[in-house]
Amino acid sequence: MTSVDPQLELKNVTKRFGGVAAVDDVTFAIGKGEILGVIGPNGAGKTTLLNCISGVYRLDGGDVRWQGESIAGLAPFRVARLGIGRTFQIVKPFTSMTVRENVVAGALFGSDEDRPRLGAAFGRADGVLELVGLRSKADLPVSAMTIPDRKRLEVARAVATRPKLLLLDEVMAGLNPVEIDDALEMVRAVHQSGVTVVLIEHVMRVIVGVCARVVVLDVGRMLADGPPDVVLRDERVIQAYLGERYARRLRGS
Amino acid sequence: MIGMPASRIWNRVFTALAMAVLAYAVLAPLSSLDVLQSLGMPLLTDKLWFRLATITAMFVVMASAWNIIGGLTGYAAFGNVAFFGIGAYTVGMLITKARWPFLLALPLAPAAAAVFAVLIGLPLLRLRGHYFAVASLGVGVAVGELVQNVDFRGEPLFGGASGLFLPILAVPNRDLYFFYLMLAAAAVAIGVTWAVLRSRFGYGLIAIRENEEAAAVIGVNTTAYKVAAFALAATLTGLAGGVFAQWNVFVDQENSFPIGYNVEMILMALLGGTGTVFGPAAGAVVLQLLIQFLSGSLPITLQIPFVPDDAMPVLAQVVLGVLLMLVVVFAPRGVIDFFGGRSTLSIAYLRRSLRETSV
Repeated sequence: MTSVDPQLELKNVTKRFGGVAAVDDVTFAIGKGEILGVIGPNGAGKTTLLNCISGVYRLDGGDVRWQGESIAGLAPFRVARLGIGRTFQIVKPFTSMTVRENVVAGALFGSDEDRPRLGAAFGRADGVLELVGLRSKADLPVSAMTIPDRKRLEVARAVATRPKLLLLDEVMAGLNPVEIDDALEMVRAVHQSGVTVVLIEHVMRVIVGVCARVVVLDVGRMLADGPPDVVLRDERVIQAYLGERYARRLRGS
Repeated sequence: MIGMPASRIWNRVFTALAMAVLAYAVLAPLSSLDVLQSLGMPLLTDKLWFRLATITAMFVVMASAWNIIGGLTGYAAFGNVAFFGIGAYTVGMLITKARWPFLLALPLAPAAAAVFAVLIGLPLLRLRGHYFAVASLGVGVAVGELVQNVDFRGEPLFGGASGLFLPILAVPNRDLYFFYLMLAAAAVAIGVTWAVLRSRFGYGLIAIRENEEAAAVIGVNTTAYKVAAFALAATLTGLAGGVFAQWNVFVDQENSFPIGYNVEMILMALLGGTGTVFGPAAGAVVLQLLIQFLSGSLPITLQIPFVPDDAMPVLAQVVLGVLLMLVVVFAPRGVIDFFGGRSTLSIAYLRRSLRETSV
């Protein structure tokens, strides 16, 4: 299921560590304005795939194309300047800065288009903090933030870079159900502000609630690509996620 | 001031003290002018005063410059003395071999140091943490050895072990001239730091210090930024070296590449507060005066029973070492942290710092 006007295309993307292929021949495309979920069990290669897109890793095979042009091999900062933002699963805030300053740093750099000056960056940052619900905590140091708030900050800093495509790496991991609902609300708000979103998640429920399309990875390979209700009935997906025995029982019934 | 928290009162007291020291440093030398002397103005500054004050200003430049790469960018450069030496030798060579006038040669000192910083920064700044520290220390040592030992057609290229003797600059009141020149360099170093901290560049550097990977994915060209910060530090340090060469009229490996400067400039920045505008400068003033006091160069000297006078410089080194340990462990944000109204010096503060700095 490829969209008519793909914004990002992955073609046979492969990344090996030693003899192990962490991402193995993965091919799919993301259309502008989409909100795509990427799921898979631990070690499926989700984060590796994201690192391949954002330039943290060099590909061992295949190609990544952004708006029709190859971005494989570009340094991470160049990818960011093209308008591809990302977050880290283990948050990496600038700890000596306040919440607002973290977001200002994002606003000052990021996409080449529409870069603000220092004064304007503060205004932009406040807008982003409003969007993710951190406006009231803008002046706090990062050390005073709870884990869910740090995850929000991670998203806020990425949103401030004015991305056209935002890659979110397990922003819900470690949150309780109530916090997940809040975070989902935030992701929807970001998506509605006009950003294409790729949501990498371990938790199935998150994806179902917000994504119209899901890609499933397992041991580096792509298992399925389609609407969540179809994909989650796919036997191979069930097997990868829930194990052989459960899959057999499902078949039996 | 009634009802003010104690820390804010202290803050004001120390700001006032700093302003007074600055005013004294800027105005007192004027008493050595002939005009004022003939009017019966008492002489407030002698040769020794000028020597100490100029050296102190020189260290303000070096500590503030180190702060840009070490404090703002988080790359602990241990070889910045190479830039000082390159600056000194650039001026020395241009004046002795090419007969350039001093003021024409001086701008090339920071330029040469900056070019060198870019060349070694490109490979070196790929290293992180202690790898970078050790590699930069190696560069600092190697450049000094090269300068002393490189021969060209059987002749030492840079004066060799006997060094370079510069002609004495023909200006009235030389002491005053070089003190104000070094003071201006110090003002430039502090001003540059202030400007960097209020710029996109500064945000990029601090982002690199806090998390280099996160800085890269928000779009900071980390390599270019690190090299630029290193070159900026080199520029300022090279400027100090260039002024030093003509002031001292003699340069050799020992006075232009002293390995001890590497440690001293870092210690000054740490003591005052890395990453701040005025911290390294304050640290440089306090520590330089302490070093001079302990080694007996000040009019007021210290007599310690059972310690002979000639052992005092050794004792000074021991005190510096102990001070470095105490600062790093108990006050990692420097002394200036107590004067911004952010923290107050207390047992709780020291215990918290100890927890933070422990593994």
